This record gives sequence, structure tokens and C-alpha cells, in this order.
Amino acid sequence: MPTFVYMTRCDGCGHCVDICPSDIMHIDPTYRRAYNIEPNFCWECYSCVKACPQHAIDVRGYADFAPLGHSVRVRREEEEATVAWKLKFRDGREKNFLSPIRTTPWGSIKSPADYEAPGANALSSQILAHEPEGLKVDELPTPPPLKTKKG
Amino acid sequence: MFTSSPFAEIATFVPPIAMQAYVILMILAVAGGALFDVIHKSSGKFFALDWKRSQARATRQIGMFETVWLAIKTIGKEMITSGEFCNPMRRISHLLMFYGFLLYVITTVIIVFAYPTEPSPGILPFLWTLGAIMVLIGGYWFFFFLRVNVAHEGHSPFSLMWADLFIVTLLGSVTLALLWAFTQAAGLTTLSTVLFVIYVFFSTLLFVSVPWSKFAHMFYKPVVAFQKRVQEANGSSSLPMPASDRKGGM
Repeated sequence: MPTFVYMTRCDGCGHCVDICPSDIMHIDPTYRRAYNIEPNFCWECYSCVKACPQHAIDVRGYADFAPLGHSVRVRREEEEATVAWKLKFRDGREKNFLSPIRTTPWGSIKSPADYEAPGANALSSQILAHEPEGLKVDELPTPPPLKTKKG
Repeated sequence: MFTSSPFAEIATFVPPIAMQAYVILMILAVAGGALFDVIHKSSGKFFALDWKRSQARATRQIGMFETVWLAIKTIGKEMITSGEFCNPMRRISHLLMFYGFLLYVITTVIIVFAYPTEPSPGILPFLWTLGAIMVLIGGYWFFFFLRVNVAHEGHSPFSLMWADLFIVTLLGSVTLALLWAFTQAAGLTTLSTVLFVIYVFFSTLLFVSVPWSKFAHMFYKPVVAFQKRVQEANGSSSLPMPASDRKGGM
């Protein structure tokens, strides 16, 4: 029951099919619209809800913790780098939240493929990829050698 | 082929009145099919209920002028330019099919009713052919590369499912119309007659299958887009406000 699709709003773009980590968002063979093929396996991760450009996907919470008549909707705007949430409670209260998706401009982060391939000896190194320059330090702090008492 | 109407040629064995009656029957089939779709799937009731709920939850009332302005914006964006598509390839393909189909159908109706037996002005067969070619470019591009089950589900481009009824009958009708016109212009009488019969079969299937195909989306999609705009304007939308409408935060 968790995610469901408003069929009149869905235009069958396939974004939810691509992003669903459980691979349960698929295309209906009769209407060519998205639908959740296995609601029991839905994590309610909201990936498809945020990815849907038509806002055609909604999540219905389980009745034991989500009161009937509530609503939790999200609008993710890549160009603005924001994700906004609107929560409606059954008693009419409403809460709005606005958060940044990231702190750098969209497309400004290099993909892993844009970096040079590491050498073979990098495998035996203690430091991770892009360290230390990725952390914007000259070198990683090293703890002093451990002194243990003899005897 | 580009300047002569194929309908004038067949007037020798298909009386113009029969062609005109067929066109009227197909128009009635579309109207009846769309009406049946609205009643059978309760989509009319759904939209009416959604409208009532939206009015009940509204935080501000929108006037007549604003409602008309929202309707104009819906026509300008969602209907005329298919602006709701986020994928530009799908949008171009959709626009080619939409305008190609309109051109093809409108010129067919004009030729059949105004010039059933005599040669029509050269512009009409040209526009008829142009419309058909636009449908074929947009349609085959969509069918083989852009269908969501092919592009995102990994299905074969040749796979068929019930949802393909509309695109298959549309492409069948338009492809056979062009093949029929071409063979007729080339003087291949027998072949063109066979193609004409198959063309009529696909065209009939296209218009009669409205309740079971995606044809009805032409009518209800603009309604959905308009309701969404109204809900955002009167404050009844459950969605957070778009960033463009936010002034100094939420």
C-alpha cells in the first residue's frame, strides 16, 4: 500500500522505474502508466515521489502510525537546489519545511570518471581516493605512535 | 502524389456519399467512445469530485478573470506546446504526432467533403502528405526508441502490449494511407486497392477503439492540467509551493 500513482497525472516518463531501489515501480501494460507492483516491498524511501516530475506519486502511510486524512507531499526542484515538504494533519494543521539538496551548484561536482585512474600501488595505500586534496588539507593528521608499557 | 488527392481517384468505385458517411460515423465513434470512457471509468465523476474538494479546501477564492487566465495558460503550455513533458525528445515526438495528426485528419475531412470527385487545390494533398509524414516520424521514433517500457524497462522495441493499441492503429492507418496514395500515383491499381482496404480497417480500428485505447487522453489531460493550476492558485493543492512563488522562504 505505501506508494501509489495518480493515473491521471502520470505521463509514463519512467523516472520512477529508473530510481526505485527495490525495483518495484514498473509500467502498467494496459495504460502505460507507472504503478507499484509490490507494495509490501516498498521502503517508503520517497525516491520515486521526489523524482516524479508530474508529482503523480504519493505515499499512503500504514494506518497504525499515519492517521487517515493526513498528507505528506514533497516538491524537489533541482534548479533551485531545494526540497520542500508540506505536511497536513487530520486536524487541519499544516507544516512546511524547506531544505537545501546540496550546497554547490548543480553539475559542479566532477564525476568519478573525470578523475585520473589511480596507480596499482594505490591499493596498498592507507588513504582513500582523492585524499588528502579532496579534504582540502596538505596531509592527513596522523596520531602519535602508541606507547605501551613493557612488562 | 504530393499535389493530387488520392480520394478523388477512388470516387469511381466508392461513392462520395459513402466516404462522407464513413467520416461522420468515425467522428460519432470518437465522441461516443470518449463519452463511454468518461461514464465507464467514472472519470467525469472523479474530476467533478476533485473540483468540489478543491473548492472546499481553497484558502482563497479565484475570480472569473483569473480562472480564464489559468485556462489560457493551460492551453498555451500543456495543450499547444506539450510543455508538461520533461524529456525534450518525447515532447518533440509528441508534437510531431499531435500536429501531424490534426493536419492529416482536417485535410482528409476537407477533401472528402469539399472535393470528393474533383481534384482539390494542390495545397490540401500537400498538407495531407506533410501531416502523415509528421505522424510517421514522431510515431516511429516514439514506438522504437521512446516508449517507456522500451527505454526504461528494457523491453524489445518490437514488443507489443495493450497500451500500444493507439500508437499501432495510428501508425498502421497513416503508413497505409501513404502507401495507398503512393501506389495509386504509380498506377498500381490492384495493389493500391488492397492497401486502401487495409487502410480503412486500421482507420476504423483507430477511431472505434477509443474506450480501450489512449485516444481519450487528448480530452482528459488538459482537464487534469487545468485543475492542477487551479489548485495551486486557490491554495488547495497538497503540494508545497514552487520556488518561483515563494517570497522570502516558506
